[in-house]
Amino acid sequence: MKTSSVSPNAKYLATQMALTEYLKTQFGTGRKIELDNFEEVIVWAKDPADAKRCVKDFMTDKNIQMDFLSDLTAYDNKDGEDGDKRFVLVYQLFSRTFHTRIRLKCLLDENESALTIVDLFAGANWLEREVYDMFGIDFKGHPNLRRIMMDERFTGHPLRKEYPMKQREPFKDNIRLHLGANEDK
Amino acid sequence: MGKDGSSFFFTTMLEETAKWAQKNSLWPMTFGTSCCGIEMMSTISSTYDLARFGAEVVRFSPRQADLLIVAGTITTKMAPVLRTIYDQMLEPKWVIAMGACSSSGGIFDTYSVLQGIDEIMPVDVYVPGCPPIPEGLIHAILHLQKQIDKSLERKPAEKPTFEDSQNAMSYRKSVDGVKANFIITPEYVNEQKNLRGEK
Repeated sequence: MKTSSVSPNAKYLATQMALTEYLKTQFGTGRKIELDNFEEVIVWAKDPADAKRCVKDFMTDKNIQMDFLSDLTAYDNKDGEDGDKRFVLVYQLFSRTFHTRIRLKCLLDENESALTIVDLFAGANWLEREVYDMFGIDFKGHPNLRRIMMDERFTGHPLRKEYPMKQREPFKDNIRLHLGANEDK
Repeated sequence: MGKDGSSFFFTTMLEETAKWAQKNSLWPMTFGTSCCGIEMMSTISSTYDLARFGAEVVRFSPRQADLLIVAGTITTKMAPVLRTIYDQMLEPKWVIAMGACSSSGGIFDTYSVLQGIDEIMPVDVYVPGCPPIPEGLIHAILHLQKQIDKSLERKPAEKPTFEDSQNAMSYRKSVDGVKANFIITPEYVNEQKNLRGEK
């Protein structure tokens, strides 16, 4: 078995820390940049528009090339641990060239709507629908923003903290399979 | 032939023969939605070999099957689909609820999971386990054969109303007057403990 003096983990950490330094110099103005327990970088965008700008910049920047959207999700910040706004939107980005990761976070109010990134990553379509379904976050410019997991007649957003965990809504029948907005409604 | 000329002997024999045929050729329609489905596949394939008990012809069409094995978690969105499949099966038909999830909802006491398929259809045999071992499913099928043989009383295949299906949820039954906003509170836990006589 081939052995190397630098372990893969140390190599990964080195690239990840170089990325952090680069982000601090290039994208650090006005944005909070911090590290988590695994030395992976978290960038806090200023607002939803800034979050989209960040995603686009990270994607097009030749030095980092974040060309893969691993995940797009959100969490309820009701206890106010991460800021004074209600929700936190999380973008997990990965570079297939450098094998580095960025976690981009953005604070959102309950009535505030995020900007869609479907025009940048087509795979964000269903992820944004899931976030809309579970948290009720509106994505401006999304081509087909409707519930993806729960029934379309379902009321409420189950992953919000105030939603009663056991509140079920059974329906007698299913909505006909359809693409786009539901005309029967 | 009876003394009065009625043919009870023949009809009894016919019923017995029909029962014998039905119990020894149960054609299962499999509805595996999670890990119980894997155990069900194992039961049907060669190691456990359900063919020994006459239930090897797995039909993936409800029109040709007479035993519905529901193996896995049924979400509230999947429930109407399952009910449609049950309605499409021809009489006589039987239902086995395999595993904790299809029997009672299992560990998924949440906003999206049906708390047991008996909310939407009558069930003949429940198989406990998470998932049950293949022997468990074989035992259930042997038990069902006994039920068919003895012509035990079965619940009629009626579709419960919307209110019925809502009231069938165990937690709603236990708390009167609380309809949609039931949350477990420390007071509620203490109350339940007092009711059970725990301290």
